[in-house]
Amino acid sequence: MTDLGFLADDGLVDALLMEVAGLLHRLIENDEAGSIDLRAMPLSPSCIEMLKQRLGPGEITVMLNAAGRSEIHETGFSGVWWTNHANEAGRVIAMLIEVATVPEILRANIDDMRGSLVRLPASTNIARNRRAHG
Amino acid sequence: MDDTETLGAMLVRRGFSRRSLLKFAIAMTSSLALPPMIAPVMAANLSRARRRSVIWLSFQECTGCLETLLRSSAPTIDSLIFDFISLDYQETLMAAAGADAERTLQEAVTANKGEYLLAIDGSIPVKDGGVYSLTGGRSNVSMLPEIAADAKAILAIGTCAAYGGIPKAWPNPTGAVGVEDLVSGKPVVNIPGCPPVPEVLSGVLVHFISFGRLPDLDNRKRPLAYFGTTIHDQCYRRPFYDQGKFAKSFDDEGARQGWCLFELGCKGPVTHNACASLKWNGGTSFPIESGHGCIGCSEPDFWDAGSFYTSLAGGSGAGWRNTGIALGVGAAAGVAAALNGRSKST
Repeated sequence: MTDLGFLADDGLVDALLMEVAGLLHRLIENDEAGSIDLRAMPLSPSCIEMLKQRLGPGEITVMLNAAGRSEIHETGFSGVWWTNHANEAGRVIAMLIEVATVPEILRANIDDMRGSLVRLPASTNIARNRRAHG
Repeated sequence: MDDTETLGAMLVRRGFSRRSLLKFAIAMTSSLALPPMIAPVMAANLSRARRRSVIWLSFQECTGCLETLLRSSAPTIDSLIFDFISLDYQETLMAAAGADAERTLQEAVTANKGEYLLAIDGSIPVKDGGVYSLTGGRSNVSMLPEIAADAKAILAIGTCAAYGGIPKAWPNPTGAVGVEDLVSGKPVVNIPGCPPVPEVLSGVLVHFISFGRLPDLDNRKRPLAYFGTTIHDQCYRRPFYDQGKFAKSFDDEGARQGWCLFELGCKGPVTHNACASLKWNGGTSFPIESGHGCIGCSEPDFWDAGSFYTSLAGGSGAGWRNTGIALGVGAAAGVAAALNGRSKST
């Protein structure tokens, strides 16, 4: 990338970081999560890399296998997460900066938990023995 | 899947988790340029939604639109949305033929009256009573108003259905027109392209199923999320345009460096479509990435808009260098900017 491109990237990254700061302020004050769709903007690969470097690495990395692989990294700023979602073919289908205590997709769903409550007792030895002996 | 089963139930039955659905919704909100925080709402709405009947009529077309949509992706959660529509009539795909096919069409219209989506690909020839394109002995021009009358909304798929496309090109021997020229009083969304980007159709369907209405449209009734910007605005070669770096022929140093293809006839600056962001073949690339300029296939009358290899600024095609003519012709700001940039580079 030329110097001109570098300067443009730098300005964009600064603007995005200020938006992240605004979302973080809202999370702290109002308990409202927010996110920025990085694919909705014509960001160059160098700009995305610069943004990633400026946010830095955090303590948590989560791998999610749901209809393809997702990687969720906490950044160096608490409450700010970098999320990449890929489909089964490995193609990135969403790239987000999420500002939340925990990204929504990691939370267990209430209907799924109710299903677990039904299935869990059935997986015990007691239930197996009952089934085995009629 | 029966018609009363919800998408959520179907996904559970097929072993897809709710996180998969949320992930799909995140991808779709991104694709539809909706705020990311809408994704959980979309996922919840999709989970509760039921099958939507789609009746697909093919008129004066080449089957390219259907071909590209059928080959859009591997069987992933993305394609599950196509399982969630009930494609009740599509002549190329359905097993029924002849009188059975006609009966199927009438049954689908009657059973889903006022609720089905009508998808059209191909233009409609109106000259000589529409005799140039018939289905079961009936002209397209007589079928369209009848089937459209009971549709919830109409999807004009491809440039031919949207604007008449190549059949309408001069001298338009069949009197081809687009859907909107013949249908009024119904919501119509145009999804132009020759062929259209398949993800745009899935985005429109997801929006309709999730929120019960079509997405926001521009003045040509195209989904704003996909057609709100030009190819040029989203093009990865745009920085070279801004710096005045242009390929002068398809094999020169500029072409090898990946410089802007404006002078080689690229119609990206005046073409609204999502090719540069969604790309083709599972996100592999798009024509400009392969070294060829955009031909503007999603714009009305693109076939009659001059040579694919003539610069928008005028001139005689690749290698053209006469800036004087361009200054007289180039009223558009983008053209002026290009010339300004080029003069800086030379």
